[in-house]
Parts: sequence; structure tokens; C-alpha cells
Amino acid sequence: MPNSATLQRGIQENLYQHIEEWVKGTKHDVCGVIFLYTENGPANLDAQVRGILEAQPDLSFEVWTDDENNTLAVILPGRTLDAVHFEGLLLKQRLQDIKADLDPRITLASFPEQGEATEAVMKQMAESARRSLSGDIHIFTREEAKTARSSILIVDNDPTIREFLQIRFKMQGYETYEANDGLTALNLIEKMKPDLVLTELNLYGIDGLPYIHHIQKLNVNKSPKIVVLTEQKVEQTISQCFQSGVEDYITKPFSPVELDARIRRCFN
Amino acid sequence: MGGITLLRDILLIYGLFAIYYVMTVNVLYFSVLAFSFRNIMTVFRRSAYSKFNTLSGSELVPAVSLLVPAYNEEVTVIENVKCLLTLNYPNYEVIVINDGSKDDTLGVLVKEFGLEKIPNPEMRNAIDCQAITGVYHNPQYPHLYVIDKPNGGKADSLNAGINLSHYPLISSIDADSLLEKDALIRMARQYMENPEETVAIGGDVRIANGCLIENGQVKDFSLPNKMWPMFQAIEYLKAFLGGRIGWSSINGLIIVSGAFGLFRKDYVIAVGGYRGGYPGEDMNIIIKLHRYMLENKLKYRIAFCPEAVCWTQAPDTYHILSNQRKRWGRGNLKNMIENYDMAFNPRYKVMGLLTMPYNIIFEALNPYFKLTGLVALAGYVALDMTQWKILLVFGLINFLSGYLFSIGALLLEELAFKRFTKISDLLKMLFYGAFKFFGYSQLGTLWRIQGHIQYLQNNNSWGAMTRQSWKEEKSEAPSSAA
Amino acid sequence: MFQHVTVAIYFVYACLGLIGLGIAILFYMKLKYLATLKKTEQYRLKHQDYFRFIQSHLHEDSDLPVPPGKLTALERRVIQDKFAEWIEQFKGEIRNRVVELCDKAGFVKDELEQLDSLFFGRRVEAAYRLGNMRAAEAVPRLLQMLRKQSYSPLTIILGRAIAKSAKQEEQLKEMLELMLRHGKPIHNLVADVLLETDLDSSKLLLKLLEDGNTDFVKVALVAMWGQAVPEVIPALDRLVGAEEKDVRAEAVKLYLSSNPVLKDETIKQLMSDNNWEIRAAIAKSLGSLHAAGSIPLLRNAMRDENWWVRNNSAESLAKLGETGFEILCETALRGSGVERETALYHIEKVMNEGTDHDAVDQMVSFNKKRLLYDRYFGVAERKPVRQVAAVGGDYSA
Repeated sequence: MPNSATLQRGIQENLYQHIEEWVKGTKHDVCGVIFLYTENGPANLDAQVRGILEAQPDLSFEVWTDDENNTLAVILPGRTLDAVHFEGLLLKQRLQDIKADLDPRITLASFPEQGEATEAVMKQMAESARRSLSGDIHIFTREEAKTARSSILIVDNDPTIREFLQIRFKMQGYETYEANDGLTALNLIEKMKPDLVLTELNLYGIDGLPYIHHIQKLNVNKSPKIVVLTEQKVEQTISQCFQSGVEDYITKPFSPVELDARIRRCFN
Repeated sequence: MGGITLLRDILLIYGLFAIYYVMTVNVLYFSVLAFSFRNIMTVFRRSAYSKFNTLSGSELVPAVSLLVPAYNEEVTVIENVKCLLTLNYPNYEVIVINDGSKDDTLGVLVKEFGLEKIPNPEMRNAIDCQAITGVYHNPQYPHLYVIDKPNGGKADSLNAGINLSHYPLISSIDADSLLEKDALIRMARQYMENPEETVAIGGDVRIANGCLIENGQVKDFSLPNKMWPMFQAIEYLKAFLGGRIGWSSINGLIIVSGAFGLFRKDYVIAVGGYRGGYPGEDMNIIIKLHRYMLENKLKYRIAFCPEAVCWTQAPDTYHILSNQRKRWGRGNLKNMIENYDMAFNPRYKVMGLLTMPYNIIFEALNPYFKLTGLVALAGYVALDMTQWKILLVFGLINFLSGYLFSIGALLLEELAFKRFTKISDLLKMLFYGAFKFFGYSQLGTLWRIQGHIQYLQNNNSWGAMTRQSWKEEKSEAPSSAA
Repeated sequence: MFQHVTVAIYFVYACLGLIGLGIAILFYMKLKYLATLKKTEQYRLKHQDYFRFIQSHLHEDSDLPVPPGKLTALERRVIQDKFAEWIEQFKGEIRNRVVELCDKAGFVKDELEQLDSLFFGRRVEAAYRLGNMRAAEAVPRLLQMLRKQSYSPLTIILGRAIAKSAKQEEQLKEMLELMLRHGKPIHNLVADVLLETDLDSSKLLLKLLEDGNTDFVKVALVAMWGQAVPEVIPALDRLVGAEEKDVRAEAVKLYLSSNPVLKDETIKQLMSDNNWEIRAAIAKSLGSLHAAGSIPLLRNAMRDENWWVRNNSAESLAKLGETGFEILCETALRGSGVERETALYHIEKVMNEGTDHDAVDQMVSFNKKRLLYDRYFGVAERKPVRQVAAVGGDYSA
């Protein structure tokens, strides 16, 4: 029995190395990797996963298990990030159909889109799946390894906008905070000291110009840059905002591509 | 013996007359309710299928001056002004009028917003009012003005506000009204659907007792826990949804709530502004507007916008509530007496042929007919015990028709707004709708009569009014929701 | 005698019956609504991953897949609503991709079918949703509905749906015609609806300006407010002489907003126009025009009967250097009634702004004004003259 334990550990130690080799050695240009972690998974989880993936047409895959850590690795050669993401969510849905209270945590990526597929990166991905706090599927970005990231505070009453911007900025490597009204925003600016505040003007609590003035009067060393993203198109409001020192003013509906460019310009 | 039979017959006839009166009143109520039902799906669709995200930031929306008269409001005025400053509207100003408060209302405002006195404020003198002491402003809050003036009453304060206002539309707001963020833009949108003709629009007033209020927003809606506000909640629902939607659809609306209403400034000035010195100025200005537009043969519309909601704290003690109702009784009677010439006068169209007669015969005189009818029937039964059933019938037609009206109002709410999300709320409403008839309605009648007596006695005291902070309600609400 | 009581008794029974019916309907509606609410929330959670997936990959070029699995009608609604929110908030390539996705997922087809529903409410709802999804193929049907609709809030809803989805200019023009044919002065609202379109609005507005239909012209003028385009000027020139009062007023305001060079003749003409809006607009723009003959005109305008004209004149005088300011002081000291008040107010305003100047030339100009002020009001300390508007008194006409 001790032998088999050692044997298992041996496989374990080499697992991430194997994965790295497999990913790098694939004959396709891209290769996707999904790490799936479940706390209370059934013993035959990998068989179920295999079953689900086999049912898909034209899908080549490899499944490896890390039994010690209840983690599963799925390799999808020849798949770009969006296809991998879709597979991930399909997996999650099907598994939940089979067993409703299963709560799988998934981290996925496609290489070399997200960077280099080293063993360390594989381990970090698996770790992030295990440590994940929310049930949402997590896309591992290359910037996640880096530490010095610019931070953006997103302030808007509308959760749709907040969600979209948060996903987008996170994928671009910014660190994001959210607030849904004026007073929370002021608190967060003082506490988290973001580099840039992307805010609506129409908020509860305090809003509009008095709100902008308050931001600038807050007790922080470097006042954050303010970019206004709002429905207000009244010329007087726009000019008053610029007079108060706002960096940029974008009206809704907005083009996300243009927003990215303007934000990047603010940071340079 | 003959004398008694004659008396009995007279009492019976009068009693029957009273029964027919009650049935007629109720048939009229139901007609108005039917008009409301006819209109409710349009209201629902306008609210559900149009966004105002393009309007709320657009230059094309007319600018509004919000007028907020304040008397002894130091406890709540800051929260309310802050809420008013965060409305979702492109271009508007908030003018608070301190009506010679004895407490520190002005001081509190000046301190909170860093206001300074403007040296030469420009007050147009469109309407006569008491001379003001000063106007306060801070360029950091460019849309807030505070007028200080000696005490002159709510109407006088509104007139002073009109004199300062810079915009073509005005909105009168009570100092304790909590406007929803979108309330003003919804009203403005209704105005824009008919700009030349619309002269005034009324908003929907709802009871906030029992709701969780945070940051100027009703976060969690809940029916009140105390009895008095609960009765008023069902009353307001009946009056606003059941009554006002119907009346406004035939252009016979007689009142726009002073707590939240939008007006064309030029027409308000044309009718001489608000009448001061007596309660009921909100009904009075509407009657004046109808009169002016009809006498000058101008095409017009006085509308009601039920999706524009303003929350208010209802009085929750007998004393304050009774004083309020007596005031309303006084004001109504004065308005009726001053304008009775419009009744049955075809020159005044719907207002003259329907609204005024209805209000005089079936609202102002209602308590007297019912009371005397009851007494007559009681007397009749006393003389002939076998006929006790007639008394029961009288009671039942009052009770059941009133209850049916409540059900109608609840149905309207369910069709268009669906604000009550709990089944327990629905049950509570149904219960109180019935419970009303065992005391509350009778008290209402009594208060109205007392108001009339006060009018005839020329008694014009305002009565006691205590202010509770919105924040107090918040700390109450979670435990009371348990 | 007692048949009257029987009438009352029938009344009672009728009430009881209706009350019972009413309560039953109430409960039915409430319970159904609560159940739908719960299901909607469940579906939203279920597809949360899919929504995040779409949001993460909208910027890429690849084709986006439709929502996986078999979906109930309510589920499709929930997903459609989410897509509609994105379409509403975004612009450009990303929005087009969501629109395509709606089409691919069959939502447009669903709603087109609903357009044939027997219930009026469902048809209106379908129209609204099709507008949200920018469904170009629905526009002819929507125009039909608009044609049959008498004037009501639904006219606006349908118009907006058409404006959002139309891909051809003629369709927009037809919509305008149908909305304006009821004769209501809703030009502001119609302009707002028109601006929701994806098509090139400036080109369209220019065309509308040339149109013979005055309603179209008004809508175009109003819609252009805040977007003054140089090509507009020639067309406006013609409109300034137009007959219709509102059209002229709007045209003049727009014309002036582009800061044109005006002839003295034109200035004089506009300053004596019948319409106060025009007088106020020209008075306001004279402040930045620095035309030689303005000052006497503005001085006269301070006696105008309309408050806005007086206000704008004083404001402009204050901007016209020391000469203008001197006129203000003179008016304040030697004039009477309305002009004095207006002058005083603006003088105070200028004095109070005195402390905020950074640039040297502004400081110089302010100091000159201060000297004038002291000369006229002869006060050594810098205490401003406090006067409050009198009530009643000398207010003629």
C-alpha cells in the first residue's frame, strides 16, 4: 500500500509537468485548458466529464485528475478561448443537471493567448479554481500574474453596466471595485484609493456636480482621475464638469472600444 | 295614532331617499372607477414600454423649478433637499422657501450647503406676496436657492418661489415629500406628449410609513404597521388610482395634490397664483385654472400621472390626523362655496356639469345625507321593530359598495404597478378595507362635519404638526417588518 | 313602497357577487405574478455563466453561440431582456454583434409572431421588444400599427420602436409624418425619438430643413440644438425670415449659437423683433460678438418688458469691457425701476467674481471695472450695495 501511495504522489508531482508538456507539445496552434474543482464531487466525476465531452461532435480532449485536491484538468487542443469558455459553461450546466447541488469551480484559459503555459502557471490556475469565492467561471489572464495593476472604481446604479465593465476591465488586467451610489463611492475612494473613477452622474445619495467636488476634496494623497460615463447630455452640465477638472466625459450609449481607448489615454 | 303613522311614513320616505342617495353616489363612484379601468392599460403600457434614458439627459426636456415651502422643518429638511438634488432630470432648480420658521430651518440649510446671501436677488414681481428677507445660494450647488421670508403661509411661500423661479414649469412639493428619482422625468414626459394643452399634472402620493428608506430611496416597500397609516394607505389608493385616473381621463380633475404637482408657470401667474390665508389652496388653484381656460375658450388638459410617485409620512396619531381632516373639510367647503356658480353651467363643460355638482352634492353634503338618513331609518325602526332589516340593508349598501371600490382600486394597482409583492400585504389591504367601515369611515364623516363647522365659525387654526425624521422610520422599520 | 327596498337588496347581492369575483381575480393575478417573478430570478441565475461568457467575448471576431440547451418561453424572454439591456447601453460594433445574436437565437422571429396576436397588449409589447432588438424587418408592420393608432402614449412608443430599427430614410420620414399628423405640438419629443436612429442623423436633419412641411423643419431645428453644424447656416438664413413664429425663433437661436458674424442691420432688426425669445437670444449673443453698435442697443433693451431680454442685455453689457460696465453703473445710479434692479444685480455678480481671476489681462480688466464702480457708488470700503427688490411699487407694464 505504501507503494501505491508513493506511486500516486509520483504521478501527482508530474501531473502539472505532464499537462505543460501536453499543452506545449500539441500540434495545434492553440490549446485550451480547463481546471474544474469540486468540494463534494462524486467518485466518478471524471467519467461523467468524459461522457459529456464525448457527446460533443468534433471535440478532441484529454482528462486528467488530481484526486488529492479534487481537481480535474481538461485539455482541449485546437480550441481558442471563447470555445474553451463555452465548453466550460456547458460542462458546468450538464454536471448541475446530473447532480443539482454540485458546485464546480472552474478556471480556464487558452494558450498562447493568455501567455506561456508553464508548470507554474498550471499550478496557479488549479489553485485559483480551488480558491475561487464565487461560482462564476474564471478566465485566467496573463496579467493576473503581475502585481502592479492600475485600479478602477466603477460607480453606477445599473448592475448591467457595472457587470459588463467589471468583466471587461478585469480581462484587460485592471483591478476593479464597484459602488452603486454616491456615498459608497466616496467611502471606497478613501479606503481603496483607486487610480481612476469611472462614474455615472445620476446616483442616489449624492450626485452631479456636488458629488464631483466632494471627490476632489477627499483626504487622499493623489486625487483619482475622474471619467464621467452618463446619460446627461446638457451642454451646461458637460462644461461645468470639465471646469471642475474631470478628465473625460462620455455619454451613454457608449462604444466600449472607445471607452477602453479613452481610459488608456487617461492612464498614460 | 294617525300622527305616529304619518311620522313613520315620513321617516320611511326620507330613509328610502337616503338609500337611493347612497346607491346613486356609489353608481357614480363606480362610473369614475370604470373610467379608471378603461385608462389603466394605457397607463401601464406607457410606464412599461417606454424608457426615458434618452430624455433624462436631453436638452429637449423643459426645465422645471421645484418649489418647496418649509415651515419648522429643521429635522427633515436636509434629507429632503438632498433627495431633491439627486433627481434624474437634465435641467432643474430647487427653491426652498423658509416661511418664517420659528426653529432653525434656515440655519440648518445654510450650514449644510454653505449658502451665502445673494446681495441683489432678482425677484420678478409676477404675483404679490410678502416681501422676502433674502435669497441664499452657493455656486457649488448651482441648482439650489433658499428664500427667507416672514411667515405668510404655504400659498404665500409658493407665490414667492414663483417670483424667483427661472424656468417655464414649476412644481410644488411638500417639505416632507420624498420624490422617486424618476418621478419628475416621468411627469415631464407626459407633459411633452401634449405641451401646449397640458396646464397641470398631478403626481401619485403614497404612504411611506413602514418602508425602509435609505439615501433618499425607498429600498424596501412594506405596508404600515400602525392602524392609522394603514387606513390612510387604503384611502389614498382608492382616491388616487380609483378616482383621479378616471377623473383626469375626462378632464374633470378637481385637485392636484400639493405634495407633488407640475404646473405651467405662465398660467398659474395668469390666474393670480395661489390663494393664501386658508387651507385648500391645491384644489383652489386647479379650479381657478379650469375656470380660466374655459372662460377664455382655450383647449386644455389637467392630467394625472400615476407612475410619478411621491412618498409621504402619514399622520399616525388621532390628534394629528383629525386636525388634517378638519383642515381639508374647511378648505373644501370654502372652495365649493366660492365656486358654486360653475355647477350645472354648460359653459364649464365637464367641470361644470359633472365635477362640481358631484363634489358639492356627493362629497361636501355626503355626511349630512347619510347621517340624517341613518337617523331617519333608526327612528322608523324604533317605531316599527319588524322592519329592522331596512337598517341592515342601509348599512350593507354603504359597507359593500365601499369595499367593492377598494377591491377595484387594488385590481388597478395589480394591473399596472404591482408594488405589493407579498401575499401578506394583499391580505392586510383586504382586511383593512373592510375594517374601515367599523369606525374609521364614521370618524371621517365626523371630521368633515367638524371642518365645515370650523369654516362657518371662521376658525382657521392650523393645528399641531410634529415632524418625524425619515431616519427614525428607518430604525423602526426593520424591527417592525419582523 | 317596498319594491324600493328590493332594489336595494339586489344592489347588495350584486356588490357581494362582484366582491367575491374581484377577490378571486386579485389572488389569481398576484399568485401568478409571484410565481413568474420567482422563475425569472431562477432563470437569470441559471444563465449567469452564459451572460458572463458573452460579455467576455463580445470584442472578439468569432461567431457567438446561442444560449445552450432547451429553453422555455419565459427563459427566452429573460435572455432576450438581458440582450436588450446591452443593446440599449452600447454603441458601435459591439452592439451590432448583440443584435445579430438576438436574430440568430430566434428572438426576433418570436416577437414577429406575436405581432399577429389577438390581444392588443401583446402586439404593443412585441412592437416594443422588436424596437429594442433593432429588428429592421419589423418596420413595415410597425408603420402599419402606427398608422392605425390614434394619438396616445402608444404613438410615441411605436414611433420610437420604428426609429430604433429603421434602416431606410423613407421609413423615418414616414414615421415622422404619422406622428405629427395629429396636430399636436410634440416636436421636442419627436426630435428625441428621431435621434435614436442609427442612420446618419446630420444628413437627415439637413434634408428635413429643406422640406416644405413646417413640422419637419421645426423637428429638425429642435433636434439640431447643441449640434450646430456649419453646413446648416445657409438653410438657417432662409428660415430666419420665415413666417411661422416658432420656426423663426428656433432658427435664430440655432443660428446665433454658431457665433456668426452679423451685420449691424441684422442686429437692429433682431433686437426689435416681436418675439421675446428672439430678442433675448440676440441680446445674449451680443456679449460675445463685440460688435461696435451693440452697446446703445443693449442699453435700450434693458427697458424691455420681458425679464429675459433685460437679463441677457445686462449680462452682455458686463462682458463688453469697461464701456459696457460703465453703462451698467450709469443705469444703476440714474435709471429707475426694472432696469436699475437688473443692472444692480449684474454689477454685484461681476464684483463678486472679482477674486477668481488667474490671468493677468482679466485682473487688469477687473481692476478697471472696480475703479468705475468706486467712482459711481463712491464707497471707500469694499462693501457692496445691498438692496432687495421692492414689492409692488414702480412696476409699470
